[in-house]
Amino acid sequence: MGVSVTARGLGGALAAIVGPAGVHDAPAARAAAAIDGREPQWVVRPRSLDETAAVVALAHDERLAVVPRGSGAALTLGVPPERVDVVLDLAGLDAILEHNPEDMTVTVQAGVTAGALAARLAADRQTLPIDPAGWHARTLGGIAATAASGPLRLRYGTLRDLLLGVRFVQADGVVTWGGARVVKSVSGYDVPKLLVGSLGTLAVIGELTLRLHPLPEAEVTCFLPVASVEVAQELTAAIVDSTLQPRRVELLDGAALVASGLPVGPGGLVVSFGSVPAAVRAQQAIVTGLAARAGARAETLGPGFWATYDRMLARMGGTILRISTPASRLAMTLREARSVLAGGRDLVATACAPLGLIRVAIGQGDPAALATGIERLRASLAAADGSVVVERGAVGLRTSVDPWGPVPAPALALMRGLKQEFDPAGTLNPGRFVGGI
Amino acid sequence: MALTPECVAELERILGPGALVLTVEGRMVYECDMHTFYKGAPDAVALPVRTEQVQAIVKVCREARVPIVPRGSGTGLIGGAMAPQGGVMVSMNRMGAILEVDLPNRCATVQPGLINLWLSNAVRERGWFFAPDPSSQMVSSIGGNVSTNAGGPHCLKYGITTNHVLGLEIVTGTGDLVQIGGKTVDRPGYDLTGVAVGSEGTFGLVTAITVRLTHLPEAVKTVLAAFRTVVAASETVSAIIASGMVPAALEMLDEAIIAAINAGTGAGYPEGAGAVLLIELDGPRAEVEAQADRAAVMCRERGALSVSVARDEAERALLWKGRKEAAGAVGRLTAAYLLQDAVVPRSKLPQIMREMVAIGERYGLRIANVFHAGDGNLHPMICYDDRNPDELQRATEANEALLRACITLGGTVTGEHGNGLDKCKNLPLQYGEADLNFMYRLRRVFDPDHLMNPGKLLPSHPACGEGFRPRRPVLPAGTWV
Repeated sequence: MGVSVTARGLGGALAAIVGPAGVHDAPAARAAAAIDGREPQWVVRPRSLDETAAVVALAHDERLAVVPRGSGAALTLGVPPERVDVVLDLAGLDAILEHNPEDMTVTVQAGVTAGALAARLAADRQTLPIDPAGWHARTLGGIAATAASGPLRLRYGTLRDLLLGVRFVQADGVVTWGGARVVKSVSGYDVPKLLVGSLGTLAVIGELTLRLHPLPEAEVTCFLPVASVEVAQELTAAIVDSTLQPRRVELLDGAALVASGLPVGPGGLVVSFGSVPAAVRAQQAIVTGLAARAGARAETLGPGFWATYDRMLARMGGTILRISTPASRLAMTLREARSVLAGGRDLVATACAPLGLIRVAIGQGDPAALATGIERLRASLAAADGSVVVERGAVGLRTSVDPWGPVPAPALALMRGLKQEFDPAGTLNPGRFVGGI
Repeated sequence: MALTPECVAELERILGPGALVLTVEGRMVYECDMHTFYKGAPDAVALPVRTEQVQAIVKVCREARVPIVPRGSGTGLIGGAMAPQGGVMVSMNRMGAILEVDLPNRCATVQPGLINLWLSNAVRERGWFFAPDPSSQMVSSIGGNVSTNAGGPHCLKYGITTNHVLGLEIVTGTGDLVQIGGKTVDRPGYDLTGVAVGSEGTFGLVTAITVRLTHLPEAVKTVLAAFRTVVAASETVSAIIASGMVPAALEMLDEAIIAAINAGTGAGYPEGAGAVLLIELDGPRAEVEAQADRAAVMCRERGALSVSVARDEAERALLWKGRKEAAGAVGRLTAAYLLQDAVVPRSKLPQIMREMVAIGERYGLRIANVFHAGDGNLHPMICYDDRNPDELQRATEANEALLRACITLGGTVTGEHGNGLDKCKNLPLQYGEADLNFMYRLRRVFDPDHLMNPGKLLPSHPACGEGFRPRRPVLPAGTWV
């Protein structure tokens, strides 16, 4: 029973760092924190960045595998883990450290949720325009680590474009800072970019300094029903090749229309404009004209639409895929995705149309057939530089098909070099990222 | 290592005739960038025309352990495109083609030597442009912009170079040709493009760049307001931002610059003006009209001496004239100046401007300012007489004092020019040992032999060397295993 003696001893050391209340090793707690069915030995909840660093340092020295966790919304992203010793629960790092309304910057701990931040910023009519599905409950550290995005990225970019500075814990526990606290800086390397989307495999994000935007004075949302996804693509192209400055241009297929409570049809675009009231009205008139030329009759939606849409996306069941394709191949990719993936299952598709970024939710069915479909879609997108990532799916699916898909060998060699440099012991989220990183 | 005759012969074989500069006079042209203070001529200058040549050059230099320094147009301001340790400079001037314009996907792929403005010129008639607009955009190359992660007056709204780069083709320090990023978004894996932009040639040589193109706005409106004091102008900047506008540009000129400009061609700034604020709004016409009106009102409410709103493109050009000539006009004030590129949080502008006056007085030097007020990016020009070594010494000290003041206020040592030789020594003001060490190790992944633009970007500091171990957390005492 040497293993359990060791485990009890390490539990004591963890408790010495975060306090007894911060270490959970009861069967129920471990089961609840399982990653793809693999239970950790401990769920550890630090109360500060220093505690986080000490936990990581201890884990590093003891060769434990650490899985950082924010709200837990994206834990199925990635390869099912082979090792999980510590689930590092960062929800306790929930302080908004500094908001500078005049500078339009904010510094938060990684466990602050996007919803809590939005509530704080609203009084100053400011916003962090990052809205992945279910964003309200998601932590900013988690959104950064997974590079999650939503409709607003069309106008504002992803967290990559808004993360100015980051304080993080390296795999051996060293607390490190990268970037700056001001909206413009090129001093040193752009370290924040390295961590956005790195899935906690290089470092644990502890604090984020973020660039904010003003909330628009007025916003209007227009629904443009279309006869087909091809028409939707053409209409998107017309909007993109105009002086319109939409905040969002989302494409919804027929199933997504139904799920969002919109009129039944083959599909539609939902477009929003935010600006001064006169400019919102003027842009609405222009887009209505563009839609009419594409045979679509524009309709104004109420201000609650985006919350409904977000709930719809967040509640989608089954397998979720993120498909990236050139915008010029959007309709083709959508049709192909349906033909190779659906196989009699329910399929709901939405897209940030101007960026060619598609989200597909697929209902329950034969995982082997789905895995084959994903590989076929990848093969067909390869020439166009596209990709298919399994954001959520059964363990069986994510072990039979690489959830990330291939990364070209020279780029993958550099990525492996980064992992080897910054986490040679494989402490942080080992084995879950691209190429087995 | 020195460049051996065998190496030279090999480079000549790779490049063909007329593409390797070896003469003293020829190499002298490449001994510095626009920061002429730092000089170092390369042992040879290679002028490749193809990616394969670039890769072959890197292989030859690696085997011979010869440093490699990239160069675009040489318009950098940081001591970047020069060779303090000699070696081979790879000039990208002959790799200046637009490889593809793909408007349906809002992007273009170009070679690194392409002049920034030429890309916009190539797509403007179709309604598009390349947003990053460093003041040097008529001469600077996109490869250079990528290397330094260049900004420009309009990055307040549009972001800096990195926000517009989708992908790179790069020959790393290991000699490998790597495609990173590309036309499609959200590619699986680490954001190598994101860390490579701004790496100033220390990761390798960029041989192709895929950039995002931006649609031209429906309308542009420029407002120019003169104020009695920089503080009044700074407060107006804060008010404009607080009202929820994101102007395309918010530029400020201080008294010394105004005097210099008025002494030259003259931009017609009113007498007694201590600050001129240039506000540019672009976007949908109705938005621009409403916001320009509002900005003008805010200027008047804060005691502006004059407010002009450009009614057409000609008037707009006139309002920008003074701003664009600012750096040149300083020549009327001084024979030489040190140009700074520090940033403070926007709300600290009045404070840093007061501090700057005090620093100028303390060191007995005139400091002229033209800067991007909207993002707090200062470009103080510390004037000195280069015939007087004592003045240069004082200017250097004033420069350092200014940087320290910016950092104390929460700022950064470079906002858009980059690090190069000039700023790298200042990084320890802003970063701790663990932070510097992390960056040093990041560089090592891309260039393990430390041959790519050595001596630039990171300081010579123990944390930027082998064997350094940053401080780790203290773990609980006792044994638990």
